[in-house]
Amino acid sequence: MEKYILLVEDNPDDEILAIRALRKNHIVNRVEVARDGAEALDFLFRRGTHAGRPGNLPEVVLLDLKLPKLHGLEVLQRIRAEEATRLLPVVVLTTSSEDRDLVESYRLGANSYIRKPVDFDQFMEAVRQLGMYWLILNHSANGVGAHA
Amino acid sequence: MAEAPTENAKRPAVSRPAWWSSPGFVAWALWGSIGAVVMGLAAYSGAKAFVARRADDNIRHVLLTHRGLHHYIQRVMHPAYFAAREKGMVSPDWYSPMVLSSSYIVRNMHGFYNQERVKDGHVEIYYKMATDNPRNPVNKATPLESGLLRKFNEQRGLREYRETVEIEGKPFLLHAMPFLETNGACLRCHGRREDAPPGLQALYPGEGGFNERAGVIRAVEIIRAPLSPERFTVAILTASAMGGLLGLAGLLAFNVRLRRLVEARTSSLREEVLHRAQVEREVLQLNATLEGRVRERTAQLQAAIQELDAFAYSVSHDLRAPLRAMDGFSSALEEDWAPALGEEGKEFLRRIRKSCSRMGDLIEDLLRLSRFTRQEMDPKDLDLSALAREVAEELRSGSPERRVVFEIEEGLAARGDESLVRALLGNLLGNAFKFTAKVPEARIEVGKTSWQGRATFFVRDNGVGFDMAYKDKLFGAFQRLHSAEDFPGTGIGLATVLRIVQRHGGTVDAASVPGRGATFYFTL
Repeated sequence: MEKYILLVEDNPDDEILAIRALRKNHIVNRVEVARDGAEALDFLFRRGTHAGRPGNLPEVVLLDLKLPKLHGLEVLQRIRAEEATRLLPVVVLTTSSEDRDLVESYRLGANSYIRKPVDFDQFMEAVRQLGMYWLILNHSANGVGAHA
Repeated sequence: MAEAPTENAKRPAVSRPAWWSSPGFVAWALWGSIGAVVMGLAAYSGAKAFVARRADDNIRHVLLTHRGLHHYIQRVMHPAYFAAREKGMVSPDWYSPMVLSSSYIVRNMHGFYNQERVKDGHVEIYYKMATDNPRNPVNKATPLESGLLRKFNEQRGLREYRETVEIEGKPFLLHAMPFLETNGACLRCHGRREDAPPGLQALYPGEGGFNERAGVIRAVEIIRAPLSPERFTVAILTASAMGGLLGLAGLLAFNVRLRRLVEARTSSLREEVLHRAQVEREVLQLNATLEGRVRERTAQLQAAIQELDAFAYSVSHDLRAPLRAMDGFSSALEEDWAPALGEEGKEFLRRIRKSCSRMGDLIEDLLRLSRFTRQEMDPKDLDLSALAREVAEELRSGSPERRVVFEIEEGLAARGDESLVRALLGNLLGNAFKFTAKVPEARIEVGKTSWQGRATFFVRDNGVGFDMAYKDKLFGAFQRLHSAEDFPGTGIGLATVLRIVQRHGGTVDAASVPGRGATFYFTL
């Protein structure tokens, strides 16, 4: 089955930049995007517009915290509450350096986090490290494994 | 709403009318005066009766003594005389009233008695054996005495008689007692003249004292004591009684006044107590209101803090998202469209990205400042020396190329929140580190000293320093005294220091000579 990434992000600019960062780091997996917390849950649990969605769970969820409808932390809580997704790797994307978000994320079972700095170069580096850690087994066969 | 107590808090005036003008006292004075007059009259009559009684006692005493002498003369001396004459021891021709006449002897004895009384400071007492038929005219009864004699002859059972009489305008107590009923023995001298002893006949040529009859009371003993000197005594006694009464009345009045005073004071005290209780209630109410207001304000402040929190969160997220997009897409242009942009285009992109980065830093610092303001405090005893050493070590390792001498005094202790104080030292030492960057032999001291009379900590450097004219701006947020070209920074560091110091209830101050370094003083 195809290994893919679920990006939960409401800001289209951030979405484009995140995907660009992934691609620049040679992470070529398909990226599914959910625009808000509710949609993310629908996607994961195959409900609503995503009912009857074929396929497996994503390899990793990149979860922005500040989301419309349902806050990222709530999404994380629901993911951890379900047996099917209890062990699903979730990496929290946070713009804030607010400690409470980080602490709360880890408390609710986030596996890692990436700060989204203003400086895109720093973001690239963080995504690179993320990819190395979570998707190392998932590089495309023809991808350049130089970073591995 | 709590209002400052105004009218209620004023001490109520206690009205005290003059005690002597109060109706109660006037009534009391009226009744007191009437009582004093009645008591005075009673005292007067009592004193008068007492004096009369005393006079009576004296009179009775005199009478009884004199009566005793009469008895002695008549029952002892007369029989002895007659016995002696019968035996021929006394000549029948001899008679002497000085030896045999009881009226003579007692009259004369009374003369001596009065002399002694006067010598002893007493008044004279009148004594008379009065009769209508006297041998000696001095014994002749006055009309009053004569009347009394008749009275006793008419009322044989009457043993004595007393009355107050006025003679020549002067009052006297008069006491009268009937003399002996004339008997046979008496008639030897008082019977017919020719029967009387020849010596007696020779001595008294007239008929006075003769021709008496047996069974008749022939004389009355009159004794009279003046009452006028006793009036003085009465007056004294009355005055004493009145004086005593007045004293008592005065005492009572004083007592009444005292009681009224005590009542007035008690009532004033009661009012005072009530007033104080009222004030206390008001204070308690005020306190309760204040507590309520404190709670209210605290809640408002907490709400404000929460709002600030939300704002900060929003700023950190929402303000940075567009920046991130600008920087990210600039980066994408740089990488993917470099040939099309040319050198100038790339330079512009670099400037855009630099500005993004700077604005990111500003936002970050602003958030940090807000966090230091909001962060909860957990005060502990801190080793400032150790904290300063750690900060210095971080600075050194951050710029290993620099040679900076840190001199940190040992044993600097203070109480405060560790993370805040660490941030404080980080900012001060960081500043010192930054502003000594262009000094060949950089030197940073941390220690304890006395600054403007207070024990303070200090951080001193030998860096560029600052112009004291701008000292006031030093601790303001985003205030910078040096260009970002010379020394990078957002100008938030000292504002953070000020916040942290203020949160610890301390103060911070700075002194500098431009080009010679700066010293920051702070207390916690």
